[in-house]
Amino acid sequence: MILSTFKKENQGFMRSGRIRIALLTVLLLIAVAFWISSKHYEATNRMYDSAKTSERANWDGQGEKNPHSAAHYGTYAFKPKYPLSLIDQGVDKYVGSSIFLEAHARHEAQFSEAADQTGLARFGNLSPDFILLFIMPLLIILLGYNSFTKEHEMGTITLLRSEGASFYKLALGKWLSLFFPILVITSLLFLGAGLVLSQLPDYGVFQWSALGDLYGVYLVYYIIFTNLVLFISAKSKRSGVSLVLSLSLWILSCLALPKAASNVAGHLHPYPTRQEFAAEVLKDKENGLDGHNPWNKKAQTLQAEVLAEYGVDSLHQLPFNFDAYRMQKSEEHEAEIYYKHYDKLKEQYRKQAEVYDGLAMVSPYLATRFLSMSLAHTDYATHWGFADAAEQYRVATQAFLNGNFAENSKYGEWGYRADADFWKELPPFEYDPPELSTIVSQNQRKLWVMALWCIGSFALLLFTTKKL
Amino acid sequence: MFSYNLKYELKLLWRSRWIQLLGVLLLVLIGFAVYNGQVKTDQWENSIQTAQQTLKASDAAMVKVLDSVEQGLEVSLAPWLVPTSPMAVGNVHPRVVAKDAQPLSYIATGQSDLFTPYVSPKATGDDFAIEFTEMTSPVQLLFGNFDLAFVIIYLLPLLIIAFSYHVLSAEKERGSLRILMAQPISIRQWVFQKLTLRFLVLSVLVIVAFVAVALGFGLDVWANAPSFFILIALVLTYMLFWFALVFLVNLWVGQSARNAISLLGLWIFFVLLVPSILNQIGSVLYPMPSRTQMIGQMRSLKAEATEKQDEILDNFLRDHPEYAVNDSTQKRNFYHRYVASQQLIRSELEPVVNRYTEQLQKQQDLLGNFKWLSPAIVVQQALNRLAGNSTADFLNYKFQVMGFSETWRNHLMPLLYNNQDFSQEDVPKLPVFQYQPLSSSATSALLVLLGLVVLLFGLGFGFTKRIWAS
Amino acid sequence: MIITDNLTKKYGGHLALDRLNLQVKEGEIYCLLGANGAGKTTTINLLLGFLEPSSGSAFINQVNVKENAQATKKFLAYIPENLMLYPSLTALENLDYFSGIAGKKLGQDELRNYLSEAGLQEEAFGRRISTYSKGMRQKVGIAIALAKHAKVLLLDEPTSGLDPQASHEFGRLLRQLSNLGVATLMATHDLFRAKEVATKIGIMKNGQLKREFYANEISLAELEETYLGLMQPKAAAL
Repeated sequence: MILSTFKKENQGFMRSGRIRIALLTVLLLIAVAFWISSKHYEATNRMYDSAKTSERANWDGQGEKNPHSAAHYGTYAFKPKYPLSLIDQGVDKYVGSSIFLEAHARHEAQFSEAADQTGLARFGNLSPDFILLFIMPLLIILLGYNSFTKEHEMGTITLLRSEGASFYKLALGKWLSLFFPILVITSLLFLGAGLVLSQLPDYGVFQWSALGDLYGVYLVYYIIFTNLVLFISAKSKRSGVSLVLSLSLWILSCLALPKAASNVAGHLHPYPTRQEFAAEVLKDKENGLDGHNPWNKKAQTLQAEVLAEYGVDSLHQLPFNFDAYRMQKSEEHEAEIYYKHYDKLKEQYRKQAEVYDGLAMVSPYLATRFLSMSLAHTDYATHWGFADAAEQYRVATQAFLNGNFAENSKYGEWGYRADADFWKELPPFEYDPPELSTIVSQNQRKLWVMALWCIGSFALLLFTTKKL
Repeated sequence: MFSYNLKYELKLLWRSRWIQLLGVLLLVLIGFAVYNGQVKTDQWENSIQTAQQTLKASDAAMVKVLDSVEQGLEVSLAPWLVPTSPMAVGNVHPRVVAKDAQPLSYIATGQSDLFTPYVSPKATGDDFAIEFTEMTSPVQLLFGNFDLAFVIIYLLPLLIIAFSYHVLSAEKERGSLRILMAQPISIRQWVFQKLTLRFLVLSVLVIVAFVAVALGFGLDVWANAPSFFILIALVLTYMLFWFALVFLVNLWVGQSARNAISLLGLWIFFVLLVPSILNQIGSVLYPMPSRTQMIGQMRSLKAEATEKQDEILDNFLRDHPEYAVNDSTQKRNFYHRYVASQQLIRSELEPVVNRYTEQLQKQQDLLGNFKWLSPAIVVQQALNRLAGNSTADFLNYKFQVMGFSETWRNHLMPLLYNNQDFSQEDVPKLPVFQYQPLSSSATSALLVLLGLVVLLFGLGFGFTKRIWAS
Repeated sequence: MIITDNLTKKYGGHLALDRLNLQVKEGEIYCLLGANGAGKTTTINLLLGFLEPSSGSAFINQVNVKENAQATKKFLAYIPENLMLYPSLTALENLDYFSGIAGKKLGQDELRNYLSEAGLQEEAFGRRISTYSKGMRQKVGIAIALAKHAKVLLLDEPTSGLDPQASHEFGRLLRQLSNLGVATLMATHDLFRAKEVATKIGIMKNGQLKREFYANEISLAELEETYLGLMQPKAAAL
């Protein structure tokens, strides 16, 4: 029964012209999206490599220079693209890809792709994640909306009933036949992606296991849609009604709800504007230690403390350059201020994320969206991780420079210059995105939501409709 | 026939609760969208206002400090912050260069969620590194906004499709088509009238819902009546386009479910696929140069300039004697050299930086030439322009910022190179920025849309096969 | 009123209607009998202009259907096998709508008169059609024909699915209409009803009109015998 339904339905799919056209269109779109995405990936990483090399060359070739001048000259941290961004671009185009690291200030990542694009880009990109998240559910709807209603319309339902078919078996057969083409397309897509990625020169970063998890997430997403579409079809009297209902579901969960969620989250837990944020940081800085300003109150306290500790009465008698020491102390202090304010920002986002998680109970799209970005290292958390790593590196760089300055010069000796070879001793900036296990544990709530949706929709399909 | 269709179409729509359903739906959607737009616009304006007030206060404080200095009193400020130095004024007291919200800003977020309401370029800052982008959660940017433009561009066509995909096929499926076709009327005409009526009903509902929402939120519709009329005209012609498609599909396709699928396919094509494909073509034809490369170039130039600071300054003063005509002291400090280097870097980087705006402009032009491929693009662009939040508006703003940044520098440079102190009298003479919005015109958008509508109806009346009763 | 002249319809190689010559005069009720696929419905569809003839022509009130289908529809009324109207409108509203789009503006009194004439109970006028039985819906169809002052009435299996009483009443209505001078063509399987109401009866088979009688020249038993005889291939050959 199950097998014969499966066979019959798939024959139906292959014979229907509109379904053939739809399947071909989707395959074509996937191929194009893939091609575009891989070109983009290669180009970005080429740029990344050359920028990284030339930036390091600039840094190493500074020549003899005061370390603090070098600190102001600064350096850049660049964000690489990760292999799975080939499948999901995530928020990559909305975050900057380079951070300027200099003394006294923490900078935001600059130059997001979106800011350099026309308004057209806001319609969305023709990328694999667009196909996977939006078009595939539509394909499921197209294949499955009349799965049960057509039996009513053609009158074959009475025939099935008279043969004593149980709804359970019929549904299972229909389920398998609807899911089968989706499974084939998705598997082909992921297999193709895996093969392309493993051929890349920097194969080391790519993990089959992460790709496998991503594959799993999308399969569950499609299972949920398959269940819902079949449920609607089983409950509807006519194909037209079933189609309109399934489409409404799609519009709501994939289109309207994410946008509404973004507005609600932003409204409930707003970010400060760039200027507000800067003003608050500045306020805290002014009350704190100013590395360049000996007249600053905190600076005076520090001076007294250090003099007492070394038992001397003038800064000139200290065994190191107090200017540099004070700058380093101020750097550490200001870094704290930045951490505090960025933590506030993170807290704000954490609250926003709760809104998204809550709404994911209504829209399976949201949970899938977030999980997919996380696994592809194109989510906000990865960006935070990168920005934090860059900040740590900045602070370490300042310590490195100020340390050299303090050890090798005397108080007031601003004319000091470090060796031309000194710069090479600074270790390069490295950032490793979170491990797969970390991602999984960070996204537990979303995984639970997906599981709930999956089980719930199965239950809905199989247990609410008992009779044919 | 028309008067009878009118009377009974309204009755049928009312009894099947379509009018009520659409009315409520539109009210909720438009209400939520306009509310979101209003909140954003208010935040935008507040942020500018706060900045202006802060600037006023800091200017007042600056005058006080200047007064103390001029009276020979000691001030408790680090030497590089004392505003007698023109560069202290230029860097510590930059002006607020704001992109004011436009009267209809709330209808479309456009690019405004990417950018900050104002910037404050500093006299010695890097113009190309001015941070225009706003600090937003990228997730919010990714999902986009539930604004009026979204309701109009994405949801309204879907409502139209749901509302009218089976005007003819429902008659066929119910069985009333045969008796209808036995009447001395043209069925094509009949479908046309039905759809015209539905278009009118939906138009009235949209306008009523919008006016109700506008009144509810206390928006001043009358003060901006012309823009408001343009908005309504755009929405109605866009709706007309979708009704024209519905007309064609009703005549050509047949079964209800198949109609719905065809129309949905068209929706995906026009609203999702064409824009993203066109965007992709734009960035392939006119690729944005890499920003990381620009940084590289800038860094090398800066490194070079630092080494040759003195030479650069000498050259600069030789080329621009006008900056130092009244200088008798010949004193040269850090800023003299730095400003001259910056000037050099700026002019050398200019072609590199201009490429971004050039490429963006080219992409925009390409879009202008091909936007007729999708009415969704036409409407998006027109709404963004109407709201003052389009790519063109922000490009225009950036140009004005660069212009003002130069004005600001040039205003202070003579003081710097003449080694003159900045004084109290100079404060009121500081340049003030006033944003000049682009004038927006929706005529071409309306013409393109109308052209498409005429084309589709022409197809419907000229090239449709006969309609069969069974 | 209704004339077909060598009217022929081919679907690919299949001959659905073969050189049909038919004439229904004013006040006549012509019943077409025949098995499924004999060509009865094809004939009606051709007369309505829903189909185009492969050759030959059909005339309604002297107007060629192929050349000017829309003009012929001013004179004709049509009641399909399962008459479907707008379920959420009442009988009055349906009548008003259909006569309205056909170009006849009627007052409330006129509408009521036509519905009464068609035999519908007064209390049902204001009820939605969705609550009507098939017989009641057909009465509304007759009212539409009356309101239109139709000269030609085309009926496709109008009595199938009606109970005997409703069917009888329907026959009575048809005779009333014919007294007004309406030419009626009715395709049916119902020999009994045909004998009862028809002035003329034709029997079709394989797209051809095989026999024609005046109803008063033949008894029901004879009609049945002839019909069954025609339907059997061998008997027909004899």
